[in-house]
Amino acid sequence: MQNSHRAEPGMMFSVSHKTAFVVDHCPYMAESSRQQVECDVLTKSRGQGMIPLAPVSKSLWTCAVECSMEYCRILYDVYPLKKLINYIVSDSEFHILNSWRQEDQSTHELMSALAAVGPPNPQEDPECCSVLHGLVAAVESLCKITEYQHEARTTLMDTADRVANRGRIICLTNAKSDTHVRMLEDCVQETILEQNKMAAGSDRLMSIQQCELVLVHIFPQGEDTLVSDRPKKEVSSLLTSEVHSVRAGRHLATKLNILVQQHFDLASTTITNIPMKEEQHANTSANYDVELLHHRDAHLEFFKSGDLHMAGSTSRDSGLKETVTLKWCTPRTNSVELHYCTGAYRISPTDVNSRPSSCLTNFLLNGRSVLLEQPRKSGSKVISHMLSSHGGEIFLHVLNSTRSTLEDPPSISEGCGGRVTDYRITDFGEFMRENRLTPVPESPDTEASGKPPAERAKAQLERYTRYWPMIISQTTIFNMQAVVPLANLIVKESLSEEDLLTCQKTVYNLVDMERKNDPLPISTVGSRGKGPKRDEQYRIMWNELETLVKTHVAGSERHQRVLDCIIACRSKPPEEEERKKRGRKREDKEDKAEKNINKDSEDKSWQESERLKGTLERGKEEQGESEIIKDSPDSPEPLNKKPRLEEIQLPEKAKGPVSLLTMWTNRITVANSRKHQEFAGRISSVNNKAELYQHLKDENGMDLHENGKATR
Amino acid sequence: MPTVVLMDASLSMTRPVSQEQCTEELQRKHLAVAGLTMLFEHMANNYKLEFTSLVAFSSLWELLVPFTRDYSTLQEALSNLEDYDKTCLESALHGISNVVQQEWGHACPTQVVLVTDGSLGIGKGSLRHSLQTLKGRPEDKKFPLPFPFPAKLFIMCIANADELQMTDTMHNLEQLLQLNGGDGQIFTMEGQLCLKSVQSMFGRLIDAAYSPFPAVLRCGNLASDVQVFPRPEPVFLDEEIDPMPRHILTDLEIVGFIEIGDISSPPVMSRHLVLPIAVNKEVDDVGPGTTEEPEEETSANQQAGKVPNFCVLLHGSLKVEGMVALVQLGPEWYGMLYSQADSKKKSNLMMSLFEPGPEPLPWLGKVSQLGPISDAAENPYGEDDSKSPFPLQPKIKRSYAQNVTVWIKASGLQTDVQKILRNARKLPEKTQTFYKELNRLRKAALAFGFWELLKGVAELLERECTLLPDTAHPDAAFQLSHAAKQLKLASTGDSQYAAFDQNINPMHTDFSGGGAGM
Repeated sequence: MQNSHRAEPGMMFSVSHKTAFVVDHCPYMAESSRQQVECDVLTKSRGQGMIPLAPVSKSLWTCAVECSMEYCRILYDVYPLKKLINYIVSDSEFHILNSWRQEDQSTHELMSALAAVGPPNPQEDPECCSVLHGLVAAVESLCKITEYQHEARTTLMDTADRVANRGRIICLTNAKSDTHVRMLEDCVQETILEQNKMAAGSDRLMSIQQCELVLVHIFPQGEDTLVSDRPKKEVSSLLTSEVHSVRAGRHLATKLNILVQQHFDLASTTITNIPMKEEQHANTSANYDVELLHHRDAHLEFFKSGDLHMAGSTSRDSGLKETVTLKWCTPRTNSVELHYCTGAYRISPTDVNSRPSSCLTNFLLNGRSVLLEQPRKSGSKVISHMLSSHGGEIFLHVLNSTRSTLEDPPSISEGCGGRVTDYRITDFGEFMRENRLTPVPESPDTEASGKPPAERAKAQLERYTRYWPMIISQTTIFNMQAVVPLANLIVKESLSEEDLLTCQKTVYNLVDMERKNDPLPISTVGSRGKGPKRDEQYRIMWNELETLVKTHVAGSERHQRVLDCIIACRSKPPEEEERKKRGRKREDKEDKAEKNINKDSEDKSWQESERLKGTLERGKEEQGESEIIKDSPDSPEPLNKKPRLEEIQLPEKAKGPVSLLTMWTNRITVANSRKHQEFAGRISSVNNKAELYQHLKDENGMDLHENGKATR
Repeated sequence: MPTVVLMDASLSMTRPVSQEQCTEELQRKHLAVAGLTMLFEHMANNYKLEFTSLVAFSSLWELLVPFTRDYSTLQEALSNLEDYDKTCLESALHGISNVVQQEWGHACPTQVVLVTDGSLGIGKGSLRHSLQTLKGRPEDKKFPLPFPFPAKLFIMCIANADELQMTDTMHNLEQLLQLNGGDGQIFTMEGQLCLKSVQSMFGRLIDAAYSPFPAVLRCGNLASDVQVFPRPEPVFLDEEIDPMPRHILTDLEIVGFIEIGDISSPPVMSRHLVLPIAVNKEVDDVGPGTTEEPEEETSANQQAGKVPNFCVLLHGSLKVEGMVALVQLGPEWYGMLYSQADSKKKSNLMMSLFEPGPEPLPWLGKVSQLGPISDAAENPYGEDDSKSPFPLQPKIKRSYAQNVTVWIKASGLQTDVQKILRNARKLPEKTQTFYKELNRLRKAALAFGFWELLKGVAELLERECTLLPDTAHPDAAFQLSHAAKQLKLASTGDSQYAAFDQNINPMHTDFSGGGAGM
């Protein structure tokens, strides 16, 4: 199995889950490290015979604290979660500076606590002070359950014993002798046995299965060590111990840097050839190197291929530390490129405050990415890594640089559906934008009140796709700008009164279009000749709109009202049969009528609108107040109109002079309504609903099928 | 996942098989060839994107066919296979290890199909000898297993289990499998050695490793039948706590969409092509009115090409919009779908699998907490798409983003002191920066128990005060002596003056007015 991509590989509760730092705070730690720092550097150049400030020197305590803080800084940069530190200070008693809790895990938190402790008091009685207090506290602390262990135990329930409890104690002290060291080890071993007994009888404590003791003996510069280095050895099946004897200052810093790498499987990468403007000469640029630490899996490919040396690894300092060199690659990458990335690992600069480091990290934090090139002997260029920041965190991405097994696949255009050319690509793009995701803050109420956000996102996709034809020639309504407002709203989970109004307006607008006989974007694909006639086009359009809205009527009462509105407004097809027969004839007639319109006397209009008012009121009684139609539904096909829908006339009339068109249509309407008493369908309807297309079924089966298909 | 077929071409493969019904003499080699022919035919029809190579071995090994998708070439090489001397597996395994690494590197999971009669040689070079001498080998003569790349080892024995158990062959093969980390399987023939039983054995291999992975890709009510290639492998999470293998669902449900810039080259476990397939159910897409005469296969393919398919629509829009679709693969397991261009002309729908878990990408946060934009009070992308809710910011800034103080190198300390002095000389204009830097140094010195430094800097400031030119603003002297005094007080450790979260504030003077003060 390939697991090089893992952000946190290995066992979740390995020995590195818990690290207890025990720092000696006894009087002898107040001793000077005898490493002097000149902090008045520029004074000399100022001359004037000024006496420069005497150099300052750090105490053993200061050295221990700042190096342990550096250890924590690197750890928290690379593992912001699940790798926990418990910081303990020991003098005449122990002081626990933080807890295992995740929110206590930050260098700021620790520094604040350390400031409260202050440096060791040299006046304190050395007899009552010992690092032992801290070591005992560290063992006790390792038995305490962390929130992650607790969570794992509660989710596992019956197999809770699988959750391991291991830990490491790093003790920074000044020991007297090898015998003293052995005494400290024995004490830790005994305390573990004792604490494990106690833990066995407790729910809150876990017994320690494995403990690594790392003793770091710190002594001042210029002195000889009284304690000898010793590699890791097994004290018992529960405890291993190792001793590092180190000079305070630079050596201690290097030692802890090596330890943090060993303890947390880190590796070092040096980015070379970083072009950077000179501070003094802004127009020149020199190349710099920056060393970064990260999980060693970012080098997995090098380890396996044995390419480590080819990749420019160099040994430095003590020879223990290795770094892989990767070259800054100038053609930068853009963020819209999706690289094939097999792993991403958080980084921490080794020398966080140096100018090259901060230039590089600021460059990345500003949102730019850098490709890194692996130098090879052959001179060929291989881009193997990428540095990129995501939300204030910098990651080293591992890019795949070998041949892909997926190369040369058949193009999607050669497969199923590949030869269809009129997919609604733009519309689906719009759909995707509307269905983009956004992080929803976790809150107790949302959990109680139903679905998690991701499930709501899926539910939205379900609603949005209830009726979604994939190709342009399968749809009419989605090719019409006029339908857009309704189509956008109807998919919503709930509609506001305003939404409903917009939907209704959309419908009236369509009615208006139909009246004006506007052409529709009906596809002529597959049909012979000019395609369906205009009225047939509208029939198809209305059917499709109904299909769309019907899929949402269960959503809410307002959704239902949108459908009601469509049914009420759309041209009614029961007359289809008759109309078909008359077909052309009537159209001709209407043409003639149009020519005569000018001759029609205006005075009639008043009368007629008064009559309409009557029919309208009748209509209102029938339908109730719900469907108030304000737009113009007057239609050139008045026989399809219910007279009650003509309410529009009223407000228009009230506004002022009636338009010629209105008068004309009113006249036709009235004339027609005189001709037809009531439609057969409406008479035989139940609850004002009649089954449509009854006759068409027999007579024009194929047509219906085509239509049915289109609205599927 | 590329496949290497490692074919035993030793003399023992030519041993005849006792055949009752058949008069013609049949060798084990013939059975092996028949089995592999069946495998190649299957792959040519149902798994044609798999790269396969053929290696024959005896005491030596030879790459007969380098990695190819041309199964006729493989078939041809197979039928021209000659017979050689004895079996020497170790060198052959070394050989394929090199072949695979040269072609695919070290990260590509590979399947090795070893076809042998189970006579694994005698004496030096035999598998038994190799296994006995595993320990204490020099670094350059290590046994080739485990391979440096993830590999599944399928051992196809042209022999039945009884036969293998009579000797220690079975035991040796099992050991071989263990050396490979247990990833793989040993297949033996059931019953009599004949064409039928060899075909049934290879049939089991096909089921185990070469059957296509059918799935349904869904986006709400839009759906498409797809094949996912290569087959997604089960994944093991933490072996200690969660030792169960995880398989991806055959129902791949889209959760929503994210822009490529927001998902930002995420790390993935594996990549797979998502190929739409036509499933034989005439009812749906073709209406009852258009039932057509059964036609030839090619035109059936053409027909499938003409039926609109959701994958093609999705692919087209993802490509145009520069977006990815987030897809759920299982409980707390997600992946992404996107358009992957192989060349200018060809592109495909690709699916990448994230590491299983509730939060595979820190910059997206928990996937279960990603909701529709309509849930937000205000469109997080802005009305004009000018902003984005991603990436999420971590609660605590990383060290490189928060101006931490590190004095491990003397230069770090010197720089910080110089910064203070530089600003001290430009008082009162630089009052704000002066105190900001001063407080930063003060905090670090208190945390590190470095009181000596506080005293030192106080002295430096006092000296600066005496060096002020006559033209200096009177406020400068006040601020310098005030700051020096405060540092000295802090260096006593007196809790009243040495509190970590307390800051030294600029002194209010008659000269400072409103502007220079805090």
